[in-house]
Amino acid sequence: MLGRVWTEAKAWGGRFWGDLKASTDASLLSMLRFVGLLYGRIDTELPIDQAFRKSLRHRLSRHAGWRHAFGGIAYLLFMVLVVTGVLLSFYYRPSAEEAYPSIQHIVSGVTLGWLMRDVHVWGANLVVLAALAHMGRVYFDAAYKPPRETNWLVGVLLLFVIFAFGATGYLLPWDQWAYWTVTEGLSILGHFPLVGGAMVELLRGDPLVSGATLSRFFALHVIVLPWLALGLLVLHFTLVRKHGVAPPADGKTEDLGADDESGVPFFPDHFLRSLIVGVVVLSLVITAAALYPRDVAAPANAAVPPTSMLSTWIVADVSRALIYYLGAWGFGAFLLLGAVMVLLPLFDRSPERRARQRPVMTSLGVVFFLGFVVAWAAGRHLRSVPVSTSGELTPYEQPVTPPGAALPRLAPTTTPPATQPVDTSSPRGPR
Amino acid sequence: MRGVVMRMSLAVAVLVALPTAARAARFQTQAMGPDSTNGCLACHAAQREAATTGVHSQHGVRCVDCHGGNADVRTLPEAHRGNFIGAPNKLQTAQLCGSCHSDPNRMREYGLPTGELSQFRASRHGQLLFGQHDMNAPTCTDCHGTHIIYPPYDARSQVYPTNIPGTCARCHSDAKLMAKYHLRTDQLDEFRNSAHGVALFQKENFAAPTCISCHGAHSALPPTATEVASVCGQCHALVDQAFEQGPHGAASRSGGKLHGCLACHANHNTAVVPVEKITETCDRCHASDTRLHQMGVDLQRSASQAKLDMASAQRAVSDLALAGHQVGYYRFQYQEAQTYYLQIAQAQHSLDLQKVDDLARRVRSVSVALNDAANTSREERWEHTLVLLPLWFMSLSAIVLAWLALRALRRTRDARREG
Repeated sequence: MLGRVWTEAKAWGGRFWGDLKASTDASLLSMLRFVGLLYGRIDTELPIDQAFRKSLRHRLSRHAGWRHAFGGIAYLLFMVLVVTGVLLSFYYRPSAEEAYPSIQHIVSGVTLGWLMRDVHVWGANLVVLAALAHMGRVYFDAAYKPPRETNWLVGVLLLFVIFAFGATGYLLPWDQWAYWTVTEGLSILGHFPLVGGAMVELLRGDPLVSGATLSRFFALHVIVLPWLALGLLVLHFTLVRKHGVAPPADGKTEDLGADDESGVPFFPDHFLRSLIVGVVVLSLVITAAALYPRDVAAPANAAVPPTSMLSTWIVADVSRALIYYLGAWGFGAFLLLGAVMVLLPLFDRSPERRARQRPVMTSLGVVFFLGFVVAWAAGRHLRSVPVSTSGELTPYEQPVTPPGAALPRLAPTTTPPATQPVDTSSPRGPR
Repeated sequence: MRGVVMRMSLAVAVLVALPTAARAARFQTQAMGPDSTNGCLACHAAQREAATTGVHSQHGVRCVDCHGGNADVRTLPEAHRGNFIGAPNKLQTAQLCGSCHSDPNRMREYGLPTGELSQFRASRHGQLLFGQHDMNAPTCTDCHGTHIIYPPYDARSQVYPTNIPGTCARCHSDAKLMAKYHLRTDQLDEFRNSAHGVALFQKENFAAPTCISCHGAHSALPPTATEVASVCGQCHALVDQAFEQGPHGAASRSGGKLHGCLACHANHNTAVVPVEKITETCDRCHASDTRLHQMGVDLQRSASQAKLDMASAQRAVSDLALAGHQVGYYRFQYQEAQTYYLQIAQAQHSLDLQKVDDLARRVRSVSVALNDAANTSREERWEHTLVLLPLWFMSLSAIVLAWLALRALRRTRDARREG
């Protein structure tokens, strides 16, 4: 027995020494190998080393350029959201009683807590933009055509997962804006034919948005959706790797260098480009977080709708602008256009990929992608509830409401003004 | 065996029957159903509802108790015989109601007061009705309803708090009727827009006064000039106390031209004097070159400053809350300032300028403390942006280095391709 252990140990030591000698080449891996004592053993069983070298040496087509970075940006932002999300979950408490105080603690008590939270908020907005930009690039390049149609569908599913992340994460601060935006959103969902009512029942878990809803949204946000996203991402990347970057759409330029010696290697060329893009994106997110923090509204109160609401999530902004300017039918038409986008590869099967030769598809795409960005910009200037303009202080000096004026039945008449902070005086100013 | 079954089924029957019987008994005492022995309803079917609805029917008051006659028979001459009085006139009505409602022994059961009729006799309404037999004057039924009478806490009652002004206005808005008595008819419109009216109608604050709170309900009369301050003081006790201590209170008590509270606040159109209009209000009586005018200016300055301080304190608390601070203590401080601010309103009625200044200073000190906290929070937020300096320095360096490396790579590759 002992003899066997000794032989094994001697053999292992010999292999380790061999690995150490083999790793004296000036590759990136030497350090990894030197530190990882068990790595040598694993490496002899599994070809991790070769796989890593192969992926670094992987050559991309010569036409792969900056515009192909959007997908990577979306992934980077997703990882930022994962990291900040895990950090936030160290402090966040998912119950109706503790959620709001824990957010206050994160923002004003925890070291760099404000950064975690606001980077998470801004990441959640920008990831939607990045994913849409990526989707737009694929769309106008017609890169969704066979053989990549499966990946288009996976990508659309990923977009829905991002939306679901935003929708469930929006309730977690448990302040007035979160509470009432979710209340509004669920009541819209309830109008969805056939399944709407049942879906709302399942999601809300109570006749009103309550602690039950908070628990459900938290579970979806930190357990269900991350696993879903992980699975879809693995599928997405595997398919990208299998089919490679789509060849140039104009048909004239040759698809040069995909996995042959004339292509551009991932390391160091694309690695450096990714580094530049990644650094710019991270800096922009942190800058936005430091300059435009999300305010903390009054704690959620089911009895008192807020005098003004603030959306901090891009999808809510877009929906509001569409409903406000185009009405319910405009909103519906835009949703229909989105549904067309989902099923795109099913009916657009012609091999033609040049944008100018596909005027219908190109104009549809312009309407959808440009429309989304324009609606976002417009939605940020709208409020779903008009701001109360009375700057009154106490009952001692309350204005005389003209006869026949609507009676503010739900408005708190005896509450002192300070308990209902309205965001008119927010550092961001009225939006 | 058989006996046991019998006994058990009997017990079950009793258990089932008892609550049912109890419920039936309770129903009987709460509302008398249409009484088959009440022969009046055989002809007077229109009054059937009155036999089941309202407080009188609930407590077993029947037609014959007011109208006389015989309810046990169903033929006309017999039913209207004996002490039958038919429809009583206004004077008889008041006496009829009083026959029960002035009797302490009968009212004890219901906890009702018994002084209404004597109060009514003393009122202007009663003087007209009893003294001059003026049938325009109201009697009990004009305000309380005739056959269906609801208690004042029932929202269907004409004397429910929010219904009282409308009930009074039924006569007092009638220009033709009021012309006979040389009375104005715009009281309800004025009251509706007054601070009291807004509190009553719009905020449904039942602590707010209605007509009867100042004029009396059964003893309705306008308060005289010297009574005004006391009438208002029944609710505004602290303000009244301050007013009586000050020079205006003395002037009001002497029966001069100063009609108590009404000098600055109207009677039906009662309104708060906004701080911006304090001087303007003083100038209605005091010439603008007098020392008393200057006092008004000083009062206004202190009160206005306190108002501004309150607004800035409110902004500070709101900013602190938006920035994510736990503001329980700040709100507590704000409440303290609000107490001082309300005391200014009270103190200025005694024209005690020193006290007003003192309270305004206290408001200011709380406001300054809150603003300090808010400024600290704003500075913290500003300090967050300092993170951006090293961040952008490092990112720009990394970008430039990466860019240079990329360019060098491209050049060597181009050189290799050409070479």
